[in-house]
Amino acid sequence: MDIFLTRLFAGMTAGSIYAMIALTLVIVFRSSATINFAQGEFALFTTYVSWWLTERGWNIWVTLIPAVVIGFVLCAAAERFLVRPVRRRDEAAVLIVGLALFTGLNGLSGTIWGSDDKVYPRLVPVSVDSFLEIAGARLFYDSLFVMGALVVVVGGLTLLMSRTNLGLQMRAVATNQESAGLCGIKVGRVFMISWGLAGAIGAVAAAILVPILPPGQLGLPGMFHMLIFGTVAAILGGLDSIKGAVVGGLSLGVGLAMINGYGSGLGGSISLTVALVVVVAVLGLRPSGLFGSKRLERV
Amino acid sequence: MTTLIDKTSPARSGGQGPSGSGRRGPVVILRGSGRYRLILAVCLVLAAGFVAWGGTLQPFEQGQLTRAGIFAIAILGLNFTTGYVGLLSVGHSAFLGLGAYTTGVLVVNYNQTALSTIPVAMGICFVVGLLVGIPALRIRGLYLAIVTLALGVAFPEIVARLGGLTGGAEGLTIRRTLLRPPEWSGFTLGEKDQWLYWLTIVCLLLAFVVLRNIITGRYGMAMNAVRQNEIAAAASGVNIATVKLLSFAVSGAITGLAGSLFAMYIGSLFAEGSFTVLAGITLLIGLVVGGERTMLGPIIGGLIVVFLPYYTSDIGGGQFSAVLFAIALIAVVFVAPDGIAGGLGRIIRKVVRVDARRPDGGREGGLFGDAPTATATESGSAR
Amino acid sequence: MTAPLLQATGLSAGYGQAMVLRDVDIEVAPGQVAVVLGANGAGKTTLMRALAGLLPFSGELLVDGRAVRNSRPDKMVGHGVSLVPQGRGTMSALSVVDNLRAGAVSRRDKAVVEEDIERWFTTFPRLAERHAQPAGTLSGGEQQMLAIARALMSRPRLLLCDEISLGLAPRIVQELFETIAQINVEMGTALLLVEQNAALAMKIASYVYLLEVGEVVESGAARDFEQSESIRRVYLGY
Repeated sequence: MDIFLTRLFAGMTAGSIYAMIALTLVIVFRSSATINFAQGEFALFTTYVSWWLTERGWNIWVTLIPAVVIGFVLCAAAERFLVRPVRRRDEAAVLIVGLALFTGLNGLSGTIWGSDDKVYPRLVPVSVDSFLEIAGARLFYDSLFVMGALVVVVGGLTLLMSRTNLGLQMRAVATNQESAGLCGIKVGRVFMISWGLAGAIGAVAAAILVPILPPGQLGLPGMFHMLIFGTVAAILGGLDSIKGAVVGGLSLGVGLAMINGYGSGLGGSISLTVALVVVVAVLGLRPSGLFGSKRLERV
Repeated sequence: MTTLIDKTSPARSGGQGPSGSGRRGPVVILRGSGRYRLILAVCLVLAAGFVAWGGTLQPFEQGQLTRAGIFAIAILGLNFTTGYVGLLSVGHSAFLGLGAYTTGVLVVNYNQTALSTIPVAMGICFVVGLLVGIPALRIRGLYLAIVTLALGVAFPEIVARLGGLTGGAEGLTIRRTLLRPPEWSGFTLGEKDQWLYWLTIVCLLLAFVVLRNIITGRYGMAMNAVRQNEIAAAASGVNIATVKLLSFAVSGAITGLAGSLFAMYIGSLFAEGSFTVLAGITLLIGLVVGGERTMLGPIIGGLIVVFLPYYTSDIGGGQFSAVLFAIALIAVVFVAPDGIAGGLGRIIRKVVRVDARRPDGGREGGLFGDAPTATATESGSAR
Repeated sequence: MTAPLLQATGLSAGYGQAMVLRDVDIEVAPGQVAVVLGANGAGKTTLMRALAGLLPFSGELLVDGRAVRNSRPDKMVGHGVSLVPQGRGTMSALSVVDNLRAGAVSRRDKAVVEEDIERWFTTFPRLAERHAQPAGTLSGGEQQMLAIARALMSRPRLLLCDEISLGLAPRIVQELFETIAQINVEMGTALLLVEQNAALAMKIASYVYLLEVGEVVESGAARDFEQSESIRRVYLGY
């Protein structure tokens, strides 16, 4: 039982992170029906900024402010100036721009800050005994913090979507771009803000995940696998559903923790392969995911 | 690169040149006419000259050219499915890796000669290509890209888990003596690099000719039809499932061929090194920059993905080269939507027009892609 | 005659290289009801989409005498021109009331918006009953009511209606036309209708344009068209 719970907690912690990344992808997808493959690298860049500021004596929490702002501005600018001009052409062009941003931002981070790993401080300091004991299993405070962060982000997003004018516009654009335009909504502006929002959330998510996930340090290759898991989580939940991103992220996290835990006799980690199977299965059997609306491309 | 640009100059002089006035229409050359043959011959001689020059290079430079040739073959394969049928694949690195590991495992564990493993590698990749093609029957566009991305990401992990066969994380090293050129070739073990260069050139040429024949033929028309509008294609009797599955399989086999050559070239295989999804992304970038749906695009793409990072890294260190690479990539997407080959083609078409002289108005399957037929709104991509 | 609210001169538009609309002149005065009649494929929808900013066009488009360039739908809404698109174009995942609120995003007077919503709920009581339901679950007639109410939420001075009778029961069509005629009278909203149901449209229209293969072949006061036997037979079918 305690082993099960330990794995469950670990899975939920990882799952919360997957969910947050999935959220960023979903927000972008809902507006512009593309996946921003560079999402992780935007977050990597902002985390480097945050790290650089802590090195200059800033409090880690304070550094989140410029990180979030930069994440917002970079992503919004990328949408406006790089993605939108080629959007009408075809998907391949958008994909290539995403890949270029992916390569370029990673290289830019490396150029500015070097390719050696950095020690990135935790947002909540932990010691060996900072955990709750639940039925013999340890639930560390930083796991709680991650889950709490997800709750805050999702809560904030839900409020934004349901209570604000901007949220209404974002929902309108997600449902029907043309009709949204006919309502007088500036569709392009909604795109840009959506991308920016995704960039801002990504900045927060990365600051939380970097110290927790192995290797626990800030390095150039770190974000790509996270992006893959986030993508899988988003597809599992349905690419245009916020609820789906959360459920998808948590199920993926818990599922992988269980498979890698109980299936350890198989030897080694098979997370990515499992993720592959999940993606193929979901897209083959139920392309709209668990909660997505049925509008995927099929013939 | 230079030779490619040179190719326009004989055409220009052959057509008495537009001598500065852009208003005069392009010089028309009939396909099959004497002048056409002359231009073609000059181009071929130039290309052959370039290849022969490559044969005389120092080992390192020649190795780079071999590498570019191998990537060109891989991108030719990718062009077949992603370019012509429009099935976006980010994960072709898996085929590259599968071909490489087939050769590596057969040579190291089963004492086969390297050359004899090529058909096996292609066969296995063909079959796996069929399997990967299955999701493509239901999923398109971005979603298919994600499936192939997942394939590319999972491949190194699968290789690592099959450690008994593949050497797992430690990798698989093919001893140099196992890569001895066959005796009939006349190359000695010491000339292994030379041998590999020529082998790559021959393979590239074969792949080029075979694919070009497919693409200009009936099957190529079916592929185009599927890309442009699946419903219309199906309505005119194209079996979409067959086209998609076969194109993925053929594409996989060609990229597998490149993988097999790559194993011989690099000697030691690490799944986490050469065959991660980043390699798949590199192939896709090479294709787009070179020019989708053009025959020369993959060759230009192969040269670029090998030489551009090499030269940009001279300018500003490894990391900065990635930035330059990204800027170049975005510039190509914005300035030359159909890649360098497509862009060159457009410039050349302003100067010379080759008339098909085909009553059926059939496709050209041109080196630089097709002349733009009325860029109809591709309703297939709408929903 | 008063200065036109909307005036298009030499308007051409199409899709890709296929020009559907060629050199069309149309004008609508404030408070006027005009109708565009024509067979299928005559370019009626293309005209409406161009006027609403959904399609790029060439030629001159004036709203209140000022030229509109590089049009976008949100800009046209800002100019007081609102479209009820063919096929309704409601936002199916949004609730009825959210559809209406979305229709008012361009407005600054947020306090009055809720009053307007109440007003359309009074006009269309069936929408009030279903105010919290996703628009996608409404019947065809209800969706059309919602589309009209949504278009009116921006308080347009010109309402473009693209085939609002399409696929609806005659009784509902009758109701809808009575409603928009009433809106025209009470609020002074000008109407530009595109209709297959010519008989009905002619009842409320004061000016008629006949569109044939992308060109305006004839136009004039609705009165005169009533008396023109040949045109009636060819275009109106009665």
